[in-house]
Formats: sequence, structure tokens, C-alpha cells
Amino acid sequence: MRLAYVLRRLLYSALAFGISVTIMFAILHFMPGDYITQYLEAIYTIAPPEVVEAYNHAYGLDRPLIEQYFSYLIGVLQGDWGYSLSYSRPVLDVVCEKLVWTLVLLLPATVLSAIVGIVIGAYSGWKRGSKADIVLLNGMIFLRAIPSYWLALVILIIFAFYLGFFPLGGYVSLSALDTGIDPLDVMSHAALPIFTLFLFSVTGIYYLMRNSMLMTAGEDYIVTARSKGLDDPTILWRHAVRNAMLPTVTMIAFQCARMLAGSIFVETVFSWPGLGMLTYEAIEVRDFPLLQGILLIDTLFVIVANIGADMIYPFIDPRVEVGS
Amino acid sequence: MRSFGVTPHARSSIRVWRWVTVSGHNVALYLSLGVILVYCAIALFAPVIAPFDPFAMSGSPLAPPDATHLLGTNDLAQDIFSRLIWGTRATLILGFLGAAVSVVMDTIIGIVAGYYGGRVDEAVMRFVDVMMTIPAFPLLLVVTIFFRPGIYVTAVIMGLFGGLNGVRIIRSQVLTLAVSDFVVGTKALGAGDGYIMGRHILPNILPLVGVKFVTSAQHFMLVGIGLGFLGIGDQNLVDWGQMIERASQNGGIILGLWWWLIPPGLAVTVISLALAWFAYAWEERINPRFQVMRV
Repeated sequence: MRLAYVLRRLLYSALAFGISVTIMFAILHFMPGDYITQYLEAIYTIAPPEVVEAYNHAYGLDRPLIEQYFSYLIGVLQGDWGYSLSYSRPVLDVVCEKLVWTLVLLLPATVLSAIVGIVIGAYSGWKRGSKADIVLLNGMIFLRAIPSYWLALVILIIFAFYLGFFPLGGYVSLSALDTGIDPLDVMSHAALPIFTLFLFSVTGIYYLMRNSMLMTAGEDYIVTARSKGLDDPTILWRHAVRNAMLPTVTMIAFQCARMLAGSIFVETVFSWPGLGMLTYEAIEVRDFPLLQGILLIDTLFVIVANIGADMIYPFIDPRVEVGS
Repeated sequence: MRSFGVTPHARSSIRVWRWVTVSGHNVALYLSLGVILVYCAIALFAPVIAPFDPFAMSGSPLAPPDATHLLGTNDLAQDIFSRLIWGTRATLILGFLGAAVSVVMDTIIGIVAGYYGGRVDEAVMRFVDVMMTIPAFPLLLVVTIFFRPGIYVTAVIMGLFGGLNGVRIIRSQVLTLAVSDFVVGTKALGAGDGYIMGRHILPNILPLVGVKFVTSAQHFMLVGIGLGFLGIGDQNLVDWGQMIERASQNGGIILGLWWWLIPPGLAVTVISLALAWFAYAWEERINPRFQVMRV
């Protein structure tokens, strides 16, 4: 059972990645103009036709489509993700380096929003219809309606520009050139982007948790707990929350894709050197190979997050065995 | 969904909105609908309302707000107020067209999967699972950059890529409907599958589809304007994302020109909030779960 499940999971993950690669290949193939000409025009101003032809032959672009597809697929699996035009380095290198910086933002933001979202979502759902619930719910609807890019700009202007509490952008101060990277300095640079991403993702977790709590609150075991004479906080935090949390944890993994999209805007606004800003840079200079690499690493990221959620599921609910 | 009018339980289910409820009418619902309609009117009558051509130079650059230029001018001396008015069009097109595409797709897939069940359902849901793993927004970016589509194509692509998450909700409703007495009865009368799906199942899930449409419209509006913010919006149009981008890249922040930076963001936030509120208030009315919960 367990093995079968792991295998099935791997199969779906591989399928998702395969589809991503296939879409990339299709886009490459069908895009207006051809790849080699675009590539060479980044080096020459005008690409001579005979050079284009020579390159086409060298890269096997004159071979049948199906052959090209498989050689592309094998190349991707072997870590050959192409060559970034703007960085003049292999795409995989650039993307992996930037991923680390994105994780510096995403991990704390996700953990923070998961904890806060679950706690206030549970409370809000439990106290359904109360003043606290109404204020929280409407506050969250409001927060969710604000576009992340604009929110990031406003936070930047207020806290960094006018109040001067935090640096305006980047990930270290200039003094890092002399003294090396100081973790405290990095943290003060990371604070605002993490806060923005936290605001961006906490609303979704809050919604899910509140909804899940609404379902849980009507269950028989809650009535049982109450009839045993347990006090309200004990029922809420020890009985209801533990059960209501389960669907929320699954959805937190799904939210990762949303967080990645959010980080594009947040990192761009705060000039944070992660995948998000890399995406923006790649767009600005039209670095196609880099963009494909980013899409592939994003897909991998979401796949890993989903598997991760599955793995921690049994720890939250001992009744669930992985794969059942 | 409900066929018995408002039961006492259903009435208490909209208790969350009591603080904005006047004599049984849900003010949040009507207020947000009002805002949405005002935006639609502005988009429709943009040429009449806007005092200047949004692309034309209409004074000195970076002028502060005054009587002629209500929100001043940008670095290209274009009237910001006129651009704001014209930008409403792009926003609504992106949001509503994207939502329409995704909702139609979700509804068709959801009905087919839920109605036939079994293997069809299994196959469709596995497919949806796999597709959900592929991050839609980066994919949208790549496609937009490669093909440089206009606003209508962008909206359609957005709907196609970002839509599938509604399938699950619609399908689970259809699953229950497919085994309900009236569907089984209609089948016994010899009605075809297509007829049952179109005439009996679809009308029953329409309220749900409506809510999904509104939430999707909000989502796609934010995404579409986000594309503008990243500098890959349709250059032939004014959109609020491009306005925010211009303001933040060309001195709006450093010079503290709030009338340049704040209005487009505020305009997005207001319509987005109205849609979110409208969807929520509507869902509270139709979602059977909110009624069942009151034990």
C-alpha cells in the first residue's frame, strides 16, 4: 500500500514535470521567429543566414521534431537547462543560486502565515458570527483584495522611505563589501519582504482554516467533549483545531504556487535577489532560456512542496498512514 | 440550489452580515454590486468622462493636481485622471473575459466528470491534479513574452491556464446531483445524457458557477494588472498595472508623488474588494453548507 502510493505519487510528479517540459518545448518550437536567430541576434546585431544554418545543424534543429523533443527531454533530465543569455552562465546554476535567496523569504513567510492563519482562522470559525469573527473575516477579505505589488510598494514607502525603519531594498548593506555578509544585516533587509509575503499568504490559510472549523464545529465528538464538561478553550485547541487543521495543511502546499507568483512582485519591489526578481530581469532583457529554467524550477518547487505536505500529514493525524 | 425559499435556518446563516443588514436586505451584497456597476459604467463611458486623450501630452510633465488635471500629469505629461478612467476598460476586460473562459471550462469539465463518474471522473481528476502542479503564473509570463498577445488573447490564455481549480468544487456538486431522484427519474423517462446535463444539472449548479465567476474575475483582474506591472501588458492600452509600474520606476516613489502612485492601486483595490465582498455575500446565501452547519 505504502509503496504503491509512493510510486503513484512519483508518477504524477514526473507527469507534471514532463508536461511542463513539453509545454516549454512546444512554446520554443511555435514561437514567432526562430530560436537560433534570436539567440544569435543577442550576440551579432544581424545574424547571417549561413551562420544560422550552421548553428541549426550543430544543435540538431534540422532533425525530425520527435528526435529534437527527446533530446531536449534528456538534456533537461541531465541538468542541461540551456545557457542564460544575460548571465552568460548555465541556467541551472543561476536558478539554483537564486532559489536559495527566495527560500530565505518564502520559508519564514510560509511558517509564520501557517501559524497565524491557523490560529486566528480556528478562533474565527469557532466564534462564528461574533464581533471578533466579523472583524477578522472582513479584515482578511480586505487584505486579500489588495494586489500584492501595490501592497509591497505602499509598505516600502511607509516603513522604509518615510519612517526609515528598514532599508529601501537589496539584501545586504554596502558595508558587506568590507565586513562580509552579516546575518543580522540580511535579516533587516528581509524583514519587509517577509512581512509582505506573510500578509499575502495568511489570508488564504485563514479562509481555509475558518471554513474547515465551521465544518468541524458541528461534529459529534465536539458535542461529546462538551458533554464531558470540558471547557471551551480545551475543546477548541485540543479537539477541534487538530482535526480542522488537516485539510488546511494540504492546501498550504497548493498555496506554494501562489506564493511563487507573489514573490515575483515582492522581490521586484524590494530588489531582493531571488527567483522572483530573476524572473523580472529575465522578462526585461527577454532572456528566454532563463525564463524556461525558472518555469521548470517553479514546477519542481511545487511538486516538492506537495510531497512534503503528504509526508508531514501522518505527524498531525496519527490515524493517517502515508498512502491510505 | 434551494427550492423552498428562505428557511429560518438560512436566514440565521447570513447573521455574519447582521451589522450591515438593513430590514432583511444584505447591504454588503448591494453595495458591492453598486461599485461593480459604477466601474462598468465608467469603462463604458470612458471617452465621455475622460477630459484628455490618455496618450496625448496635455500640459507640463509631473504637474501636481489642479483644476484641469485632477490628478496631475505623469513624466510624459499625460493626464493621470484620464489614464485612470481609460484603465478601467482594460481591467474589466482582463477580469471578466478571463473569468468567463475559466468558468465555462470548469463547468463543462466538472459536469462531465461528475455526471459520468467512475473512470471518466478518475481520469479527469488525475489530469486536474497534475495540471494544478504546474505554476500558472510563470507559465503565463513565458507565453505572454513569447507571443506578445493583445489584451483579449491575454485574458483568454489567463483563463485557460489559471482556471482549473474550480473543477473540483463544481464536480463535487454534480456528483450529488447525478444520483438525485430527479436526475434518475429523467433518465428513466429516456432523456439523453446531453439533455440531462444541460437542462437539469446545469441550472442547479448555476449559483455556484456564478460565485466562482465573481471570485475568478477578482483573481484575473489582479493577475492581469500584475502583467502590466511587470511591463508586459498590452502597450496599445492604458492599464493600471502599467501606470503603477511607470510611477514606481520613474520617480513616483522618490519624489513622493502620491497622486501618481496611489490612485491606480487604490482603483484596483476598490474593485477587487467589491468583487470579493459580492462573492462572499452571495456564497453565504446559496451555499448549503452554511445552512447545514446551524445545528
